[in-house]
Amino acid sequence: MRILLVEDEKKLCDLIERALKAERYAVDIAHEGTEGWKLADAYDYDLIILDLMLPGLGGTEILRRVRRKNLQVPILILTAQDATQEKVQNFEAGADDYLTKPFAFAELLMRVKALLRRGPVTRASVLRVADLEVDRFSQHVKRGGHRIELTPKEYALLEYLATNPGRVFSRTMIIEHVWDQSFEGLTNIVDVYVRHLRSKVDDPFPTKLIRTVRGVGYSLGSSENA
Amino acid sequence: MNTRSLSFRLIAWYASVLTLVFLVLGAATLWSLRHYLEANLLDSQVRRARQIADTLLAAASRTGDAPVAQQVEDLYSPEANDRFIRITRADGSLVFASGPPADHAFDPANVPPIPPRTRSVHVRSGAVIRKAILPEAKLLIASVSYSGTNDASYVVEVGLSTAGMEATLRHLLVMLGIGLPIAVLVAVGGGFILVRRALRPVAHIANKAELISQQNLRERLPQLRTGDELEHLSISLNHMITRLEEAILSSKRFVADASHELRTPLTVMRGELESLAQDPKLQGETRETLGSALEEVDRLADIVDGLLALSRLDAGEANSERVMFDLAELATTTADQMSLLAEDRNITVRCEAAGGVFVEGDRPRMKQVVVNLLDNAIKYTPKGGHVLLKIARQGGQAILEVADDGMGIPPEALPHMFERFFRVDDSRSREQGGAGLGLSIVKSICTVHGAEVEVTSTVGNGSCFRVTQPLAGHAARTVPHR
Repeated sequence: MRILLVEDEKKLCDLIERALKAERYAVDIAHEGTEGWKLADAYDYDLIILDLMLPGLGGTEILRRVRRKNLQVPILILTAQDATQEKVQNFEAGADDYLTKPFAFAELLMRVKALLRRGPVTRASVLRVADLEVDRFSQHVKRGGHRIELTPKEYALLEYLATNPGRVFSRTMIIEHVWDQSFEGLTNIVDVYVRHLRSKVDDPFPTKLIRTVRGVGYSLGSSENA
Repeated sequence: MNTRSLSFRLIAWYASVLTLVFLVLGAATLWSLRHYLEANLLDSQVRRARQIADTLLAAASRTGDAPVAQQVEDLYSPEANDRFIRITRADGSLVFASGPPADHAFDPANVPPIPPRTRSVHVRSGAVIRKAILPEAKLLIASVSYSGTNDASYVVEVGLSTAGMEATLRHLLVMLGIGLPIAVLVAVGGGFILVRRALRPVAHIANKAELISQQNLRERLPQLRTGDELEHLSISLNHMITRLEEAILSSKRFVADASHELRTPLTVMRGELESLAQDPKLQGETRETLGSALEEVDRLADIVDGLLALSRLDAGEANSERVMFDLAELATTTADQMSLLAEDRNITVRCEAAGGVFVEGDRPRMKQVVVNLLDNAIKYTPKGGHVLLKIARQGGQAILEVADDGMGIPPEALPHMFERFFRVDDSRSREQGGAGLGLSIVKSICTVHGAEVEVTSTVGNGSCFRVTQPLAGHAARTVPHR
């Protein structure tokens, strides 16, 4: 998998490159718009990560040129602006996804993964993490064969964590998926729900599955840090 | 009436000056008229006295005194003319004295004899002038001395009552007394209309200026075309508003730009710290420190987000996405989503909602209002407290109330509750977290929705936040969407 990263902020660029390489992606870097467009034009990438504010050629212009060439490569936009209108404009211009700075790297990686899956994802109807089973059709949760009763929000939270076992989900990601943007800034709502979820999913069992990574978020999966 | 208003002061000043001028003018007229009439009267008395002396008394030296009396009576008939005539010899003996006049205005017998010559006596063309004050009338008397050829000398006194003159003057006084107040009243009335007309644009400008606030700084005052000082004033005021608008816009732009610029470094910080924090080899204390640093980065990011949200609201962005929705339904589902937050603190949230309270607006943003108000109430109510969420209709308005029985807000803090970064109590709020922007965001969202938000509170009894928003125009015809 080969990814083109067009980002003028060097430090941020290095960070993203490191994170992507750690996931074993091949990464090409452009620090400037024109160079970015040349690379995008010349090579066949699996994904382009594009900053909007670029010297040389603007991100939106690269996006237009790529789409005019009818390239089907998925494009993830990074931006410091989160005005709805601009989002709509860029989606119309052909962006596949949108991340507003400051974003959690966990979220960036998840979005990259999702975009690289290409096409409809075959989603397993039952998610399994250790001895935990989350049935997406019946919305039943079992652990060690015992049925666990969850409220709809608790279920949504657990299912979301179970989609990527071992991956850390930030509070912002959780809020956006389980609640909506109105709850952003009230980070303790996630903590409260996780605590309740723990009391049902983890407390009766010797192995703890829900892990807190302080300052980052939560993840699901048996771990030595639990 | 406002006694300090410009129109009142102008008119009061103008009326008093006018009254003073009229009074001075009236007094001068009366005085000069009296002077003129008196002089006129005296001149005719002097002329007559001289006539008597020159013609009759000159003859008396030949004819003796006796016919003089008859001649005076015949020629001047003093009684019929209401005149007083008396002729005396130097030794004091009487030659002629007129009888009581036909109108009985005075009694000639009461007229005192000529006083001895003193300096104070007024002399007019050789005649001595005096004023005899009788109990019934005042007489102006001119006396002429005559020395005949036969050493006989006489004094001729001719007098006339001043009653006629006084009557004329009184008449004039009455005329002035009636005419002057009328003239002043008419002038004040005219002045009032004039001043009102001149000052009407001022009131108009003041009313318009009252309506201009931070939200509609793009508006301008009506441009007057009167060509006077008021036009100049309206132009100057408009220039001032333009400068204000520029200043406020540049400060808003600065906040937006600064928040914007902070995002990239925040992303880098976050990423670096995150990649460190996920290293499994980390020791407990380092992990804690990193976590704490990450939490602060989050808080910084929240503040930046809040500031950007506020600057977008200031720019009026929320107006672009207006839909009709049921505020009651929105509030109850939101409260439901937050119930665990309240439960966690053992707080009871009760919901009283009227059915179908339809309003128009940006739904996610109105939800933000409910979320922020509820979060606030839950945060600042001690464990075991109560929060009441109430949605109702009241005379064309939708009312949303979030009341708690928490610690309350001190009165001096109430006016500042919706200010950015305002904290009632530093130590208290810090430990509860939050960016200090929640309520200002509520206020800004309400403002762009044409809604009002207010807070009432008693310390120890709790606080109540109340949002008043106009109901949607066609609320009755809409079916709730669920």
